[in-house]
Amino acid sequence: MNSSWLRLAALASGLLVVASLGRALAFPVDGNQTVLPTRTELNEDALEKPREVFQSERAGVKSYMVNLGDLAFNSPSILGDVARQAGVSCGTCHVNGVGNAKFFMPKMSTRPGNFDVTGPLFNPKANNLVLDPVRIPSLRGARYLAPYGSDGRSASLRDFIRNVIVNEFAGPEPSPAIIDAIVAYVQDIDFLPNPTLGPGGRLAGNVSQSERRGEALFSKPFPHDPGLSCAACHAPSAAFVDHQQHDVGSGGLFKTPTLRNADFNAPYFHDGRFDSFDQVVDHFDSAFDLALSPQDKRDLVAYLTAVGDGVQPYERDGAGATLKEINDFNLVLATAIPSGDKAIVALAVDTIGQELRELTERYPDRKNTSVSGGAQQRVMARNSLKELVLTLRRIDIAVTEGRSADAATEFRNYRYLMAAAIPALLAGAEPWSLFNQDVHDQHYAALRQVMQSKHLSH
Amino acid sequence: MMLSGVPYASAGVLDEGAERYRPYMIEGIGSALAGAQALRERAAAGDLAGAKKAWISARAGWERSEVFTTGFVPELDAKIDAWPNADSGFHAVEAKLFGAGQTDVDKDAAALVEHLNDLHVKLKDMQLTPQGLLDGTVRLAYEVGESKADGGESRISGTSLDDMRNNIAGIDFAYHTIFSAPLNTADGKLDEMVTTRIELLEAIVAAPDLPHVDIPRLRRASEELVVALQIASAKLGLQRPTLEAQAR
Repeated sequence: MNSSWLRLAALASGLLVVASLGRALAFPVDGNQTVLPTRTELNEDALEKPREVFQSERAGVKSYMVNLGDLAFNSPSILGDVARQAGVSCGTCHVNGVGNAKFFMPKMSTRPGNFDVTGPLFNPKANNLVLDPVRIPSLRGARYLAPYGSDGRSASLRDFIRNVIVNEFAGPEPSPAIIDAIVAYVQDIDFLPNPTLGPGGRLAGNVSQSERRGEALFSKPFPHDPGLSCAACHAPSAAFVDHQQHDVGSGGLFKTPTLRNADFNAPYFHDGRFDSFDQVVDHFDSAFDLALSPQDKRDLVAYLTAVGDGVQPYERDGAGATLKEINDFNLVLATAIPSGDKAIVALAVDTIGQELRELTERYPDRKNTSVSGGAQQRVMARNSLKELVLTLRRIDIAVTEGRSADAATEFRNYRYLMAAAIPALLAGAEPWSLFNQDVHDQHYAALRQVMQSKHLSH
Repeated sequence: MMLSGVPYASAGVLDEGAERYRPYMIEGIGSALAGAQALRERAAAGDLAGAKKAWISARAGWERSEVFTTGFVPELDAKIDAWPNADSGFHAVEAKLFGAGQTDVDKDAAALVEHLNDLHVKLKDMQLTPQGLLDGTVRLAYEVGESKADGGESRISGTSLDDMRNNIAGIDFAYHTIFSAPLNTADGKLDEMVTTRIELLEAIVAAPDLPHVDIPRLRRASEELVVALQIASAKLGLQRPTLEAQAR
């Protein structure tokens, strides 16, 4: 079996994942009196989530700063009123640090995967009255990818993050500690490993002829401007970027995006106008008059696909994955409780509590007509998760009232439950939860059927 | 069931309180039943607006009564308030009236009337325990704090905010009718804390519409109320309420 075949198989497998994502979603916000516009698609019901790899975990563990940043990143409370009301956080658009390709919001997006950060919804004061959405980028490898913003407007990641919070989403001025933590978190999100990439970004290992030809074409000077080539901007030895802005015929100056893990970063270009590498290659062929043959194009796409690959890009969502994330957040509490840091404890309690409430709803209650079986297991799972939420609230109350010993006792109890009882109860109920594909599909089909009635008369 | 070692007077006070709750419960379900009967009639007459109005009225009585329905009649509760793709109950009718704008709901409405009538008949002789009513109060208080960003339970009719207001009215009535006085005797500060949290919830859901309800504040107040009621259970000589029916 040669590498091309393997990559083709991997791509097919990836397409299957994307197809299953497509099948699983299609459940946009709907109904009357929703905070977000109806037909907003958040892809929250996806059963496959991008895998998040942290640089710090290669050699050790994530620091308090990284975990706090992760927590804040996933907390609606650091953003403005509309986002908080809607439960929207940074993590809504950047799921596990990766662009949410399914995200779509009417009048704020022109296609899935882009969003107008200067639109009217989240901060009317920042509204520029133009529908100019930008692609929601992946944050993998962000520390290598300055400047920030699709047009590279900000040299500083810190400044960029503050601008998103305060100006684009109308959030309150965050404390320096929170911004520092989010910067630490974003900088810790690593690229997925790609065994095909060797030193200097050269293809290595079992590489197909087509990929080799594509690699050569990638570095070949453009016929009408020998000073240019693909590799001149997407420098293979520098994460495939040059930290510069260029006009590539897409309507202005935009920064060079990385090609690493790009197989999972569609749509492409600053506004997400292209769905595939084929379209991207066609655009460059036309914009720079490259006179590429059909074989050249196939070779370039093969090369881009090889460069953009990554090991295990998605992982199955389940109680285990959620509990792991929550346990990471718990490390923030382990530091904040003894130091009596009321603001951080409140942030952690609100964020973790909300995650636990959402996890609870993955175990349908007895009034849910789309699920049968496992009634007692679901009751026990729901009850235990609700008790955890309340334990967290007791911690918050105790810290607020200065009862540090009580807070510490509650936290010990909480960690004990999280370590043993909760995982067992959730595992016991998993076959009847929304983590089970069949149950998931039945539940959302039922919801969809009900919500469709709303549109029959319109 | 009362815990051993609890003063008899306290148990008697709670039982009396539970009996004082009974007329409220009968009135709430009676109102839901009358509303359901009216909606059936209006729908049969092809009066969509009238049927919708009757549905909202029926729903109000039901939501005020959820303190006891979740704990005392779980089977009927599941039939009457089934969700999402119910073949009977409030939400089945809601989808047709408010969603599709159709009045052919006779089968669903008839089943709703039948279930509500079954419940209404039982209420006079139903044994009401203070423990069950505290459990129901706590569960409903927790549920009120759930995010309604997706439009909530009655998202097609757009009446989820009314559901919340009626839930909290039911909590308020149950607490002040059954538990407040004996808790005040045992721990005045705790009684005040519970009352304050209920008032806070009422203030939060007084928002003009659902998108303007301060959800994070609502959630916090709901959880603080539940925590306070869990502490209160011991002071009242009752077991600590569980958050789900049949979890004990």
